[in-house]
Amino acid sequence: MQQLKRFVAMRRKTLITLVVLMLGSAAALSFISLRNSQARDATQVAVLDDGQRIAHAERVGGASCVSCHGTGGEGNRTLGAPRIAGLSAGYLEKQLRDFARSPLQVGVTLDPIARDYSKTPRVQVDLTVYTPGVRRHDAMNAAAAALSNDEIHSVARYFNSLPYTVVALPSDPETLERGEDLALRGKPEYGIPACTSCHGPDGRGFGKEFPPLVGQAPEYIIQQLNNWQTGARDNDTMALMRNVSDQLTEGDKVNVAAYFANMSATAQGAGN
Amino acid sequence: MLHHFVAAVVITLGCGAAFAVDDLSGELDPLEVRPTLVRPQLSLPTKLTEVYVASPGEFFVPPNVADIPDDKYGDLVRMGRNIFVDTQNYAKRYVGNGLTCQSCHLQEGRKPYAMPIWGAFGMYPMFRNKTRSVVTYEQRIQDCFRYSMNGIPPSVDSPEMQAMVAYSHWLSRGAPVGVELPGRTLPGISRAEDPSPQRGEIVYVTRCAMCHGEQGLGKKTPDGNRYVFPPLWGSDSFNKGAGIFRVRPAAQYIKANMPLGQGFTLSDQDAFDVAAYIWIQDRPKDPRVSYLLDFLLPRTGAP
Repeated sequence: MQQLKRFVAMRRKTLITLVVLMLGSAAALSFISLRNSQARDATQVAVLDDGQRIAHAERVGGASCVSCHGTGGEGNRTLGAPRIAGLSAGYLEKQLRDFARSPLQVGVTLDPIARDYSKTPRVQVDLTVYTPGVRRHDAMNAAAAALSNDEIHSVARYFNSLPYTVVALPSDPETLERGEDLALRGKPEYGIPACTSCHGPDGRGFGKEFPPLVGQAPEYIIQQLNNWQTGARDNDTMALMRNVSDQLTEGDKVNVAAYFANMSATAQGAGN
Repeated sequence: MLHHFVAAVVITLGCGAAFAVDDLSGELDPLEVRPTLVRPQLSLPTKLTEVYVASPGEFFVPPNVADIPDDKYGDLVRMGRNIFVDTQNYAKRYVGNGLTCQSCHLQEGRKPYAMPIWGAFGMYPMFRNKTRSVVTYEQRIQDCFRYSMNGIPPSVDSPEMQAMVAYSHWLSRGAPVGVELPGRTLPGISRAEDPSPQRGEIVYVTRCAMCHGEQGLGKKTPDGNRYVFPPLWGSDSFNKGAGIFRVRPAAQYIKANMPLGQGFTLSDQDAFDVAAYIWIQDRPKDPRVSYLLDFLLPRTGAP
């Protein structure tokens, strides 16, 4: 005890300086982090505001995002515009980029291949070539091409933040039963996996790769499956969806689209 | 001799001259893409490797779920199916990791070459090298829980076990008993050279990581309750006593079923390499081995 008292008495100044320094640095750090979080919140709000402005701005032919996809991003069945509210921001961003990517152009000279390519050390895992991914749709190709990367990011974040409630569409029990069989079990003997094994439990979407199937109009799902089959859309990673679509029959498409349209769900609008 | 040599030189020079005077200026530069009458396809043919063609008529087709009878038997079958699909909730006390039955026995135990239940049920009781004895179907399920689920085996008379046996029985109705059906267990594959985890890592990152994650720990739903893509290693995966831990069965499984929906697209060597990459990762120990021996002994299941 005596020793401790002597120690404190001898180094009073140093100790006080140390305590002041520690308190000061703690205060400074908390101030900085507060400033940072405020700045981050402000940035997010700015991005969402920007996204809202872009979504309502007039695009090609006097149309805006919301004029087809709805003010709340709920989609429009008669126009064939899908629901985009509550979809993953990463997914929306990728789709817009793929819409904006110009399809195979004619008259373009490709970069010549290096002649000594055989000397380049490389590991050939697979000979399969994956295209960068394009999605063909006349209106969307033009609309997405007019957006900059920042605008695409903002508008994707904006529609991701919108809440949405899915209204179930009725269908006959036989169709639903067959649709459920395909959605939950796929076709094992053909090697077709179940829809829900990737698109998340109940088809609510999973991550930025697998969009929700619930809450999309059956016409849209059938149209997309047709697009995978014809090649009008080929922007999937590792050709996962194309391989599945190639093996679906017309009846399969109708059944499974009816099954997912028959489900109700709520998009919180906060998830990513 | 000299005559022959001169003739050879003349022929060689002649050929060279013939090639040299070949005028290519009028031909198309192969690197230039020109407009054609054909409308360019957005989708280039990308399947340059051999494609596996499914022959569905070859395999046994189990009954439809909607045809489960509405009686006591059907109730037991339905409970067994629930356990099979959602083992985490319906057999919670027996499971020690994040997997379900259909994490491996794909599509509710129906998929050929993914160890389908209809291919196994009729083969038991069966001699197993693992236990060096003839085991019943119930004992086999217990081993699944002990090793692949890294948990506690349910007793033979537990309601969960009875339900799982009932589901397997229903799924195998119409399948011959004691016959090795096509598509049962896993396909045979062969390798040209020793599996290499270094090559396997490349395959893993390019083909597997999108779903199973860069760290191989799987991906969970946003609420964190269940895995959508199961973990391949780590504490939530199968332990070192599981059959799929061994490199060869893992490679066979990967070859036939992975990436999901693209079975038989990886080469045999790729499947072996990526199986070796998964094999060297950390996972729970074999329950038959003590902690010290698990640390000291070399890994079992090498190819």
